[in-house]
Amino acid sequence: MEKSNFFARKRQEYLALDRIDRRRYWTDGLLNNALYILMALFIIYTAIKNPNFVKPGSIVNMIQLAAVSLPMALGIGGCIVLTGTDLSAGRVFGLAAGMSAAFLQNRAASKLIFEKLPATSGGWIIAVMLLVMLAGAVIGVVNGFFVAKFSLHPFIVTLATQLITYGFILMFFQINGNGGGPISNVAKEFKDAVSGPCFKIAAWNVSIPWYVIFALILVVIMWFVWNKTRFGKNMFAVGSNMEAAKVSGVNVFMTTVLVHTLAGALYGFAGFVEAARLGSVTAATGLNNECDAIAACVIGGVSFVGGTGNIGGIVVGVFVLRIIFVALNMLGINPNLQYIIKGAIILAACSLDMRKYLVKK
Amino acid sequence: MKKTLALLLAFVMVFAMAVTAYAEPAPDTKVAVFWYAFSDAYLSTVRAELDADFEAAGIDYQDFDSNNNQGTQLEQVQTAVTNGFTVLVVNLVTSGSADAAQQIIEAANGLPVIFFNRAVEGDGEEHTVLDAYDNIAFIGTDAPEAGHMQGKMIGEFLVENFDDVDLNGDGEISYAMFMGDAANVEAIYRTQYGVEDANAVLAEAGKPELVYFNANNTDKYQLDPNGAWSSAAGNEFMGTNLAEYNEGNGNMIELVIANNDDMAIGAISALQAAGYNLGDGECTKIPVFGVDATQVAKDAIADDTMTGTVKQDNVGMATAICGAVAGVAGGEAVADVVAAVAEEDEIFSVADGFTNKLFVAYAPYTGTEAEE
Repeated sequence: MEKSNFFARKRQEYLALDRIDRRRYWTDGLLNNALYILMALFIIYTAIKNPNFVKPGSIVNMIQLAAVSLPMALGIGGCIVLTGTDLSAGRVFGLAAGMSAAFLQNRAASKLIFEKLPATSGGWIIAVMLLVMLAGAVIGVVNGFFVAKFSLHPFIVTLATQLITYGFILMFFQINGNGGGPISNVAKEFKDAVSGPCFKIAAWNVSIPWYVIFALILVVIMWFVWNKTRFGKNMFAVGSNMEAAKVSGVNVFMTTVLVHTLAGALYGFAGFVEAARLGSVTAATGLNNECDAIAACVIGGVSFVGGTGNIGGIVVGVFVLRIIFVALNMLGINPNLQYIIKGAIILAACSLDMRKYLVKK
Repeated sequence: MKKTLALLLAFVMVFAMAVTAYAEPAPDTKVAVFWYAFSDAYLSTVRAELDADFEAAGIDYQDFDSNNNQGTQLEQVQTAVTNGFTVLVVNLVTSGSADAAQQIIEAANGLPVIFFNRAVEGDGEEHTVLDAYDNIAFIGTDAPEAGHMQGKMIGEFLVENFDDVDLNGDGEISYAMFMGDAANVEAIYRTQYGVEDANAVLAEAGKPELVYFNANNTDKYQLDPNGAWSSAAGNEFMGTNLAEYNEGNGNMIELVIANNDDMAIGAISALQAAGYNLGDGECTKIPVFGVDATQVAKDAIADDTMTGTVKQDNVGMATAICGAVAGVAGGEAVADVVAAVAEEDEIFSVADGFTNKLFVAYAPYTGTEAEE
């Protein structure tokens, strides 16, 4: 009942517009939703050119790919809401991946990083997950502390911590005569628990790995944190106007530190998943991963202006990037051109999205 | 105004899609080739040859750039499988990692996988991957061979020119070594044998062993921190070294050994900035050795700014891959295909104890060999 009222009212409003306003209604409508319209066209075009693109196996593949990038994007999104960014994300991710692989090696393997560790059990896997999230959170605390305490731009702070973290990664990869080589021989139990199938869809001959479920849970948790908690509301207040937030009694220091800490913990979790997914981690793992996460957030409407953005947007942004990645491959585009097209799409998508805020202001 | 701009941007997106329009529909055999990094100089020469070979053979193929990221490569493989490719050709990002290779094979879901160039099994885990699956093969080089060849070449060069190279006349040659990637078995062997084998040749001729230029560096190499074998790393290290170790201080680096040509070329440009290796026949030439025989390195050798390199045969590598793909796509067993390719040319050989591992031979290159 309410719904039909809504449409009737909209219709009334539309009929009341004059010719020029009606034209504006359509052009504004088109441009404000240009990202979605163009994505729809892009998907339809790709599907016509290559029907494999929309087959169940391919769709499940895209969901998996999105689930892999989601945790980092969810973390970095908070930093962007605070008008900041986080360049250390990729390296924190790499450190967490390296630690996860080292702590969860197959105990029977010949070359072990740590020789005296408990056997791989469910409890130990969870303990390692919490440990690497803690490691990420510690780096996040450092980031947040320097940003909040000394009013340094997060770009500078995280640039520095990125380098520091890389130094730790290199040292970590040299433990016990590993000499900087890859850390592999990851325990099967660990792989099964993270990247093993959670359930199979027999009709389509596809299976959904556990990390897709984890990503789903994270999205729900983060949605709750951003929308339903005092911390989430404070984060948006600080992001949109720090002075105003301070005057109205928000603890800006605590909020900034917590946003970065939460982000660090999420990068840690993402690295934990990556170790299970790849089965082998190198010191270069995670390099530049933050770029895709930042791009996903910005495409999804988390603005560098600060104080705007939502979890749903980040999910959309991650999917848009992944769909572009798969579609460009499916269309058989030359990889040289793929970088150019990806860049052009990010630029265009963000500009179209930004237009909404410019008009509002 | 803003609206025009916004519309313009919308057109950019449409244009980006229109660019994609030349994609061809797929016939039966579709080959996906995954390169660890498009930016790699040597592999780019393989790619050019391989693309040409596939086109000549009428095989439908597509190249992917894994951008030095094992995660990206795995995702590309998963996507290619869902896209109906029938043969996967993989240049593994994490060289020498059996686990990374197994993840790729599992993602391939039973499709034939031909690995090339970058090892799929590390030291001490031979046979763990190649014997465990029946429709995979490896085409590459015998990892220690390039190092042995480079070391021997350096040794022979030094025996002939010892006194010219020994600039400060202390009876010893001080050298610098640039390593491409700590995790790569080829790099590890080249770093080791490039010096060891040179020393063996020197010892035979009654000359003293090479001495690393910096006694404080117990690793006896300088490593590209990004594992990218890059000329930038070679250049920066050499430039820094020259500030402290030079003829003015009587401790000049008298020999440069690099894991690949890119790093060697980087070191040469640092030497040139300091007035060495200008190729004018007057200034002092510090001997620089690389591996790969890229075009740049061959030109440098012709210009008398570089001394020697080891030829990684890009044409042979491409021929072997294309031959293997054609055989596998025809439904033949991998072992038969590998054996057939090995028959084709004397530079190919099947590795001892394997049926699915094919080696392409290296060759020394100092510019005096007859060019094909």
